[in-house]
Amino acid sequence: MSLKQFQGYRRPDGQVGVRNHLLVLSATGLTGPTGRRIAAALPGSVFAGMPYDGGLLGEDRDAQIRTLIGLCVNPNVGAVLIIGGNPPKVKHLAEQIAKSGKPTQAITLDECEHDALTLTDRAIRVGAKLRIEISRQRRQSCPLSSLFLGLECGRSDPSSGLVSNPLLGLMADHIVDSGGKAVFGETTEWLGAEHLLAKRGATKAVQQAILDAVLDHEQKAIDAGLDLTGENPGPTNIAGGLSTIEEKSLGNIAKSGNRPIQSLLKYSEVPGVAGLHAMKAATYAPESITGFSAAGANLILFTTGQGNSFVNTITPTIKVSANPDTLVRLQEQIDFNARDVFTGEESLGDAANRFVDLIIDVASGTRTWGEVLGEGEEVVSRFGASL
Amino acid sequence: MTENTRKGLDAVVLSPLDELATALRNLKTGERVRFNIADENHELTMSTDVALCHKFSIRDIDEGESVRKYGEVIGAATAPIPVGAHVHVHNLKSLRAASDS
Repeated sequence: MSLKQFQGYRRPDGQVGVRNHLLVLSATGLTGPTGRRIAAALPGSVFAGMPYDGGLLGEDRDAQIRTLIGLCVNPNVGAVLIIGGNPPKVKHLAEQIAKSGKPTQAITLDECEHDALTLTDRAIRVGAKLRIEISRQRRQSCPLSSLFLGLECGRSDPSSGLVSNPLLGLMADHIVDSGGKAVFGETTEWLGAEHLLAKRGATKAVQQAILDAVLDHEQKAIDAGLDLTGENPGPTNIAGGLSTIEEKSLGNIAKSGNRPIQSLLKYSEVPGVAGLHAMKAATYAPESITGFSAAGANLILFTTGQGNSFVNTITPTIKVSANPDTLVRLQEQIDFNARDVFTGEESLGDAANRFVDLIIDVASGTRTWGEVLGEGEEVVSRFGASL
Repeated sequence: MTENTRKGLDAVVLSPLDELATALRNLKTGERVRFNIADENHELTMSTDVALCHKFSIRDIDEGESVRKYGEVIGAATAPIPVGAHVHVHNLKSLRAASDS
């Protein structure tokens, strides 16, 4: 299987994209609506925005800059058009993003005399040129080692832990064995399974970091007086049959496969080496998969039990389910059907072979339901209050 | 989890250490259900209804006893649970985070 290739976009920095987006990035909350208007006027472009700016402190300050740069540098982005109301920040972002070698343009609200309509007009003209420029790029044959998988689950039920998540684990192992990368997060859903994850840490430091990350999340729940039952597992998980966080976690971590964990990443941190990585991050899918995308993931695999329409904008998101009822209900949501593994009519290995073929297909340009229906958004995690 | 052993079965037990089985279809009170533990065939009579993907006990469980799925503890029983009964948030609680207090 490792000799298989996909058709991707080779970027100047050596990364490979599976899409060729023009990204309209609103770097500040004030320019979000203007950014959405600009993206709507440039068919085929995608929008991402940071709904905050002034008053961010500490971890929030670092994480938002890291995440915005990461989303722009993501190889699925062919060119970037940044707008914003904070000239030093916009300049810093543009300089950092231009290092990747991709076409990058920036326009501030200040240059437009604080007129959102002037900004709109100028940005549409600049963006149209960028769209033509990136449309000259062509897909080329690329090895599976160019893939970087983000592994997510949402609205899980026990079919996720029995079938879909173990299937993702096989995909993670396969891409890692091919020389590629994979990342999983949702740290609260390591509670009760952290001893199994920690054993797989590549070094003693990584093992300890995994245990410390879980303790930190557990302590935050205790400090907040939160009973996780009803919160995580949430009402949809409980209706589907999941009873405790331990049960949910043991199903969740099956997504990570069996390979050593090379590092524990901060939210949206880019991994330094190939292989499997864990990200200490929020569990809620919109925040979690934006973190993966900003870390450089070029494809997201997302399992669901009861159904979950949410996808990432920049990174195509393949939805997987094994729940027979869900697969009848949600035919325009689930991209990979693992029902026959659940009922025993297909082996996990046969499903894994079908799944590798779908990954190659989507990485080469075939659209997912979420992309076609526009169910994506970028959501940057927050860590504390603003001033 | 052995592959292709689920065909014709009503539930799955993931580890020989487990007290719990997961329903592969909607199960009714009084029904005889079939499942494997490792590669051995087992049967029991359901003492409650259990919906698709929900769990039931494959032996009597005492109040306070730790309960396992995947061969790992997923919580403790908050009431005595007879064999063949639905096990969920009404009789099982997490041992982690704030659930203890």
